[in-house]
Amino acid sequence: MIRLENIQRRYVSDEVETTALADIDLDVAAGEFVAIMGPSGCGKSTLLNTLGTVDRPTAGRYLFGDRDLVALNEAELARFRAMTLGFVFQSFNLIDELTIAENVELGLIYRKDAGGDRKGRVAAAMDRVGISHRARHYPHQLSGGQQQRAAIARAIVGKPKLILADEPTGNLDSENGQQVMDILTSLNADGATIIMVTHSPSHADIARRRIDMLDGRIVASLARAI
Amino acid sequence: MNRFAFLTLYRSLTRHRLYAALNIGGLAVGIAVFLVLGLYVRFETSYETWLPHHDQVYIVQTVVNMPDSPVNGAYPNTMGGLLEEMKADFPGLTGTRINGVGATVLRGGIGTAEDLAWVDAQFFEVMDLPMVQGDGARALADPSNVLIDANMARKYFGSTDAIGQTLTLNIGAGTAPYRVAGIFAPLPRNTDLKFTMLTRIPNGAPKGNEDWWYHWSSTSVNTYLRFPNPAAAKAFAARMPAFVVRHGATDLGADADKMMQLTLLPLTDLHLTPAGRDMASMRQTIITLGVVGALTMLIAIVNYVNLATARAGLRAREVAMRKVLGASRSMLVRQFTGEAILTTALAALVALALAELGLPLVNAAAGLALSIPYATVVPALLVLSIVVGIGAGLYPAVLLSRFPAAAVLASARSPGGGRTGARLREMLVVFQFALATAFITGTLVLVAQTRHLRQADLGFARDGLIVVKSMAGLSEGQQGTMREAIASLPIIRAVGIADSAAGGFGNNNDNNIEIPGRPGYGPSLREIVVGRGFFATYGARVIAGRVFDNQHGADDSYGTKSKDNRAIVINRTAVGVLGFRSAQEAVGKTLGKGHPRTIIGVVDDMRFFSPHVPMEATYYTYWSHDVGAPVLTARYAGRMDAAMDAVRDTWRKIAPEVPFDAAPANQELAKLFEDDDHAANLFTIGSVLAVLIGCIGLWGLASFNTSRRVKEIGIRKALGASSRDVVKLLVGQFLRPVLIANVIAWPLAWVAMRQWLAGFSDRIALSPLYFVAATLLALAIAVLTVIAQSLRAARATPAWALHHE
Ligand SMILES: Nc1ncnc2c1ncn2[C@@H]1O[C@H](COP(=O)(O)OP(=O)(O)O)[C@@H](O)[C@H]1O
Ligand SMILES: [Mg+2]
Repeated sequence: MIRLENIQRRYVSDEVETTALADIDLDVAAGEFVAIMGPSGCGKSTLLNTLGTVDRPTAGRYLFGDRDLVALNEAELARFRAMTLGFVFQSFNLIDELTIAENVELGLIYRKDAGGDRKGRVAAAMDRVGISHRARHYPHQLSGGQQQRAAIARAIVGKPKLILADEPTGNLDSENGQQVMDILTSLNADGATIIMVTHSPSHADIARRRIDMLDGRIVASLARAI
Repeated sequence: MNRFAFLTLYRSLTRHRLYAALNIGGLAVGIAVFLVLGLYVRFETSYETWLPHHDQVYIVQTVVNMPDSPVNGAYPNTMGGLLEEMKADFPGLTGTRINGVGATVLRGGIGTAEDLAWVDAQFFEVMDLPMVQGDGARALADPSNVLIDANMARKYFGSTDAIGQTLTLNIGAGTAPYRVAGIFAPLPRNTDLKFTMLTRIPNGAPKGNEDWWYHWSSTSVNTYLRFPNPAAAKAFAARMPAFVVRHGATDLGADADKMMQLTLLPLTDLHLTPAGRDMASMRQTIITLGVVGALTMLIAIVNYVNLATARAGLRAREVAMRKVLGASRSMLVRQFTGEAILTTALAALVALALAELGLPLVNAAAGLALSIPYATVVPALLVLSIVVGIGAGLYPAVLLSRFPAAAVLASARSPGGGRTGARLREMLVVFQFALATAFITGTLVLVAQTRHLRQADLGFARDGLIVVKSMAGLSEGQQGTMREAIASLPIIRAVGIADSAAGGFGNNNDNNIEIPGRPGYGPSLREIVVGRGFFATYGARVIAGRVFDNQHGADDSYGTKSKDNRAIVINRTAVGVLGFRSAQEAVGKTLGKGHPRTIIGVVDDMRFFSPHVPMEATYYTYWSHDVGAPVLTARYAGRMDAAMDAVRDTWRKIAPEVPFDAAPANQELAKLFEDDDHAANLFTIGSVLAVLIGCIGLWGLASFNTSRRVKEIGIRKALGASSRDVVKLLVGQFLRPVLIANVIAWPLAWVAMRQWLAGFSDRIALSPLYFVAATLLALAIAVLTVIAQSLRAARATPAWALHHE
């Protein structure tokens, strides 16, 4: 489903050049659960952002199905994200001024086909992650685990083909972390493709494939035998 | 404040250069507008305050209160001989008359007109003009002396050392030599007194004025009185009704004190008190401009507080760190207030520079000669800096110092003052834009009205006319010769003489016309005496009947008695006032019991006088020659200056000893609303700058909001929001307050502008279009102000935004 060819990402700021991604090749099939590991600063977030089209590579090709995403313009990319992707961040990134239900609904409002039964779909998504009783609260009234589950509800409410999760358990204790992993696993079982950055080997083990990165390169890609 | 506090201020100013420039610049423009308009208000309210003991001087007002008279109102003039009659009844009264008769200074057979005034011997006891040379009071003791101002001395004698020199003057009754016995300092600009030369007023009625000098209800001079204290003035005023009855009964009838009152107006109030029928209040204009200045500065201060508060949130981390390092709350409050005072002082300094640079412009636009009195302005600005600094700095300072350090340092997000902060900021935007929109509406109405005054149909074509005001200075024989000579110039198409002309000169005569079958004196109409060619020269539109001509011998009223039947032409307004249903009906009718007048025609209203005065019902009578107080109007074809030169040359050939005084009619008409024009210019300048400051505020707020929402924008974009969605979101948040602002602005502007327009008899309708246009303009300005940064924020890559703290 996903193919990255010779992807490069360089940052130039104040005449200092950083190569965040150097020549990445990567294939991910539909339905896979991929974990990305590596030391801080090695380019994991950049890779995930590139996959999520919120960051553009400096060079290389990004094929999603048979579409070349590098050729798309801003508006087309926005539509692609709205229809195809779900994001989960380490710091949750809920909007403080919106309630949990409204935050979750945000996952639908930019979809052109979202029309019918929005409320029902929002309720279903919150139900699935177990935060329905917090629908009318504001993010700061929730614990970290609950906020992250709300963020996941927002990511899945549009039934995306691909879920990108950047250290989703990074700010959570082990119990809450496990809950989040259980939700991701069940989403994967229902057919969603998941790519997740994590520092936890045990969480990485839950994924079927593990990619190790160092200095902007992929140094190992191990598929777990089932 | 310690060294580090200065350092952070300096760094934050230089680091956020645009922010600092806008913040300080906006405040500076606000202060500058306030300063300049404040100077204007100070100037307009300072009239005559330069005179020593001005608070003891009063001008006698004649309040006319006749039945049915359009001239009713209070006038700052009195009967010529009033002071003499007052002194006879109230011995020990201190007073002087000022009668601006004007004089011709003759040098080598050529006459030059100068502003000479006749005054009483006691003049210097009332108005102690600063002298350059000589003793004023002593100089006035001798009626063959003249006092001149320093400019006149330099003009005629090359220096102010002119005591003992001789000037040959013609003060209306032949030439005579006068000895220069005193030089006074030229009058300052903040005065309504208008003279450059003074001589003693003759005892008794001056030659040619015998008919009305002692006639009650005539008004020909200004009478000033001086009282040691307000109580004395009040006591004197209380004795006026009895005085009026005592002296005025012969002219005014038994109820003289009802028909006419004499009141005292403090000299310093004279400038801002409208005279007679004038509908406009200069005082209101000045208050309005003062308010505009104050509000503009208020907007700027509001902006400053607004931005400072908004930015306070962004500095929360710095504050938290300082607290962790041991700074106390009071230290922090002191630091931030100090910063605010320093920043405001900087803004005040820039404001001073802006005002200095802008003053020539403002002076040109408003016909003023304002300058900055640094000795008062600098301390005032210092106080202002401290007050505004504390006002603007305290709120954000307290707000900032209150943030709980731990929470700020732990949280990923900067507090922005929370929900109340956002609400407050929105209210401030509403307030600003309400004022801005009201100002825009006001400016639109003002511009439309002044344009109307310049271009509206006055009942005659105002272009292509020259008004020769100096005709009255010619002998009766010369007048006819002059008329023929000017009429025969190739560039002149038509010439007309009358005792009035466009711009309002000549005689002011009102007469009652009794209507047969109706009780009472009948309505009062203005009488204009016209000579040959008057209606043709102005191009008056004849509505019914005909105008005067020489074929109808009976048209000519020259030499007739008042009780003879005279042919008259009336104007459109008079048709209704005289009780006719139509102009046609009026033609052929004879009115007036003891003074029969037969209407031969009706012409459209011609507005010769101020747009502040209602159009008067008028009748015209015809004198084939020797019109009293004549003014000549000539219509030319071609270039104005060529026509003016030709007329002047003709004048100089026929009457070189009489000063030539003429001007284009449209220039004379423009003088009638010069003050309105100037006020409109000032208002426009103030409003434009107020709107500009409003924009700076909105811009700053938008940039703050946008930067605060960077992360949210990132999230929304990651979730698939397009750039357009984001721009709509960011611009939309400002449309609501701007629209609410309009709802507030409309009634405000409506009331204000209706009030202002009420001061004009000749005015535009207050159309809703002005309001709609102002709203659209305000919306466009708001959108343009915020769109650029919204676009920038919307285009930024979401990855960057998500990274952003
Ligand atoms: N906006 C940016 N500007 C400059 N350098 C950046 C930016 N974002 C990331 N980088 C650099 O790119 C490299 C990879 O960053 P990132 O992908 O966030 O690492 P990781 O998620 O693996 O910790 C780092 O060296 C980081 O400093
Ligand atoms: Mg990262």
